[in-house]
Amino acid sequence: MANDSRYLLLLGMLACTGAFAGLLYLVKSSLGQPVAEPGKDVPAESGRLAVPPAWVRYHVHYYGFALLFLCFDMEMAFMYPWAVVYKELGITALLDMGVFLLILFLGLVYTWNQGGLKRQ
Amino acid sequence: MENSATLPTTLLVVLLFAGGVYALAVLEYWSVAGRLAWARPVRLALKLLAREEIRPRQRDAVFYETAPVLLLAAGTLAAAVLPWSASAPLLSLATGALFVNAAFAYVMVALVLGGWSSNGAYAMIGGWRFLGQLLAYSMPMVMALTATVMRAESMVPVRIVLSQRGLWNIVYQPVGFGLFYLAALALAFLPPFDLPVAAGELAGGAWADFTGARRLLLRLGRLSLVMSLAVTITVFYLGGWQGPGLPGVVWTLLKTLLVAASFFGVGRYVSRVRYDLMLEWSWKYATPAALFNILWVGILLLL
Repeated sequence: MANDSRYLLLLGMLACTGAFAGLLYLVKSSLGQPVAEPGKDVPAESGRLAVPPAWVRYHVHYYGFALLFLCFDMEMAFMYPWAVVYKELGITALLDMGVFLLILFLGLVYTWNQGGLKRQ
Repeated sequence: MENSATLPTTLLVVLLFAGGVYALAVLEYWSVAGRLAWARPVRLALKLLAREEIRPRQRDAVFYETAPVLLLAAGTLAAAVLPWSASAPLLSLATGALFVNAAFAYVMVALVLGGWSSNGAYAMIGGWRFLGQLLAYSMPMVMALTATVMRAESMVPVRIVLSQRGLWNIVYQPVGFGLFYLAALALAFLPPFDLPVAAGELAGGAWADFTGARRLLLRLGRLSLVMSLAVTITVFYLGGWQGPGLPGVVWTLLKTLLVAASFFGVGRYVSRVRYDLMLEWSWKYATPAALFNILWVGILLLL
């Protein structure tokens, strides 16, 4: 299975996507250019012309969920290889992962208990 | 096992995928207007090409140009490893199931970049909403897929299809199927989870400041994404190319279009779901249900 030329196909797909986009933009620009007029190039904001910059500090209210997500995502990284050999190892694999998942799940229950799963 | 497809197979898969995407564009309009307008996608594409292309003045040029192309790339890359028949995945990867997840993860990147790039508050909020949505849908999604891998003892999609001989995964692990289906709707930001781009609200959310060709790419990217997700559900839950009488490719196409039609149909009857409620429900109910599904499948496999 160690055959790196297969990944060239994925690279080729990416290149084709880029080329397709480029082609589309070429067609588009050949059909005419936008006319420069005041107030046209303002980001969508209900017609206000003096738009304040949006690149400011923004309170991402779901940071708690993001932390939870990180824990569980790490667990998923272990879970895929485990899933492949699961049937082979049988009950041992079930118990091993069961304990690991139980610890994680207790963490989730604790978060819920402390009100961490409410809308911030 | 073959590593990659021959040229005729490749052409067939590309044609099927492109045709499917076109059919999906028609279906999308059908879900809104209730009639099948077969020429409408062409008209819409021409209209978007003819439209004046306005770019916001203080944009982050790199992000702005990356977002549409990246969405299309993320939507199509996953399809490379999904088999249309026993001999027609473009690419047979040993880590296929994982690769599908990895490719779909970039949808979030594309939307957050698109939201950030135009320096407008509406777009920005749309992008952050989708990031919140990702935190809600991705755990149920990857956990549901894990259970299909457990049954097949392999991450190769072809093997996962073969493992469903006699009993499709939709019957074997219905909880996982339900979770994956809902997560797929959220990932493709289809109604009722369409608040990140929110037609009729936020001026189009993360896509608010894209017009013309870039808008066309975004729409195409989203349709490709829906197509890829429908093929994913067919492969992982509906027994892939298996079915009586017809050739395998035809079965895959039929099931895929059916799943896609149901995607577009669901949103007509449900009101929109806010991302904060999604987060709450996902971590309180869907993630435990996904863990239960893994345990359930694990016990079934050992019996």
